[in-house]
Amino acid sequence: MDRIKEILKGVHPEVDYEKEDHLIDKRIFDSFDVVTVVGELMDEFDIEITAEHMIPENFNSAEAISRLVSTLEEE
Amino acid sequence: MSFISMDFALFVTVALILYYALPKKCQWVVLLVASLTFYAQTDPKDFIYIITTTVSTYICAALIEDRSKKQKLYLEENKDTLSKEEKKQYKAKVKAVQKRFLISCLVLNIGILAYLKYANISIAYINLFRLTYFNSTEFIPFIRVLLPLGISFYTFQTMGYIIDIYYGKYERERNLFRFALYVSFFPQILQGPISRFGNLAPSLYGEKSFDFNRIRSGFYRIVWGLFKKLVIADRLASFVSSVMSAKESYPGLYILLAVFFYSMQIFGDFSGGIDVALGVSEMFGVTLPENFERPFFSKSISEYWQRWHITLGSWFKDYIFYPLSLNKSIIRFSKKVRQMGLETFGKRIPIYIPMFFVWLLTGMWHGSQSRYVVWGLFNFVFIVLGTELEPLSLKITTRYSLKESSFFMRAYRVIKTFALMSFLRLFDINADTAGAFRAFRLCFTGWKSFDITKVFEELSLPAEDFYVAVIAVILLFIFELIQRKGSVRVRIFALPVAVQWVILSALITIVSVFGYYGPGYDAASFIYGAF
Repeated sequence: MDRIKEILKGVHPEVDYEKEDHLIDKRIFDSFDVVTVVGELMDEFDIEITAEHMIPENFNSAEAISRLVSTLEEE
Repeated sequence: MSFISMDFALFVTVALILYYALPKKCQWVVLLVASLTFYAQTDPKDFIYIITTTVSTYICAALIEDRSKKQKLYLEENKDTLSKEEKKQYKAKVKAVQKRFLISCLVLNIGILAYLKYANISIAYINLFRLTYFNSTEFIPFIRVLLPLGISFYTFQTMGYIIDIYYGKYERERNLFRFALYVSFFPQILQGPISRFGNLAPSLYGEKSFDFNRIRSGFYRIVWGLFKKLVIADRLASFVSSVMSAKESYPGLYILLAVFFYSMQIFGDFSGGIDVALGVSEMFGVTLPENFERPFFSKSISEYWQRWHITLGSWFKDYIFYPLSLNKSIIRFSKKVRQMGLETFGKRIPIYIPMFFVWLLTGMWHGSQSRYVVWGLFNFVFIVLGTELEPLSLKITTRYSLKESSFFMRAYRVIKTFALMSFLRLFDINADTAGAFRAFRLCFTGWKSFDITKVFEELSLPAEDFYVAVIAVILLFIFELIQRKGSVRVRIFALPVAVQWVILSALITIVSVFGYYGPGYDAASFIYGAF
């Protein structure tokens, strides 16, 4: 979780990732940011993120991203 | 067999009677026989291509799924003895084998499509190249082949299926004949929509009881589709082709009007055809995906493409854009560029490079001529400009205290998008790229020679044709406005039965009386039916 927050901070340092749970819905993250985060996640956790995972619910908060990473790590 | 013919109406009626009269477990068989009968009405040779696609995709899906099952079994049996690293290596090995099956299937089927669609245009370019640079008149002969019915649509649909099977999104269809129905389902074979197996299968194979409401609802949709095709599209077609075939001799205002009318024509033609497909399908209780969502109310080109030909756009997004965007090489390249201090540029690489390919391929999908590639790339450039200029646009609106949600701003953005998309259609109407640019230039010349009293005389068109088309477009606009707040059919069905009959009778009368059936008219030719 800490590493995920670090990655997110690298993209938007001004956001409070403890509280914010509408990163996509509030357009805090645009498509460029999401793909940047996805690239970092794939490198960091050695996971494969595909088109079916690219839905707002998976990227709205640090916790949602952490859940996605855990699911993909188990596969 | 055209969607707009008595033969088709009779064909659907017979199929419906058999569908609901025979035992429910035979319903998918009725649909398969109907689909094959429909397909057989064209050149029987076309069957070779659709059978090749069906069988090759079926076999590859079986091989891919078989490996997945064996992998699962092996990992289950050895879960206590294998290390995490060993499991990972084993999975990678299986994935590599599955990838080989996937790629073989894609190469074979997209190869067939590419060969049939682009072989002759490639030969033409090679011959031109040899003539220009080597003065060679030894031309390669063209191949004698017609594009099989619906090949672009069923190829995309099956390739989406095999990719989904590869990613384990759902289980494959085990019965070859049931799978053949998914590939050839007759309402969608002509011009889409492009369905996903996971969404279509439940209603395609499910058993259904006769439901009058479903038949009624489907029938309304068919009549509305015929209205869009026969009253709007085909009427506007005669105006558009009159102007565009002799554009140099008309004032710019005519050409400008023809450009905007062509947008309405192609919308009426394509979405009308889709309405017929969805309406027929609904009568059989099969739910096809929507392909349009009021595209002319879009406030940007990106939004327009999320509302126009939705199933093609979503196909490109899922099977071309994301696989490229999330490709490790592109991601690494983007990271390298960002580490060089070019943060903004680097972040755009995984979006814009895939988007460039999506638009290149979208252009090629629409036609083999170079003008379609130019059209696709113009779309790409406009979308990139729209994205990059958004902060500037925001500054301007803030500076002048303009509210994005105000009617004025929304109307401005809708009109701007409609105008841009209409001008891009010039590549569609004109025979070549140079003709499209010439038509664009001509839109803004010769306005002084415009004389409103001579319009119809100059166009050799009856004034009534024009007025009917304009009134029909207004009617369509009102319908689309109402539709923003929910299904119009649901509202109609909530009215007293007598009123429902009046509405339906009025619509049928309008289609019968005002549908365009002029000399040389060929209702069979849907524009998107040629893909």
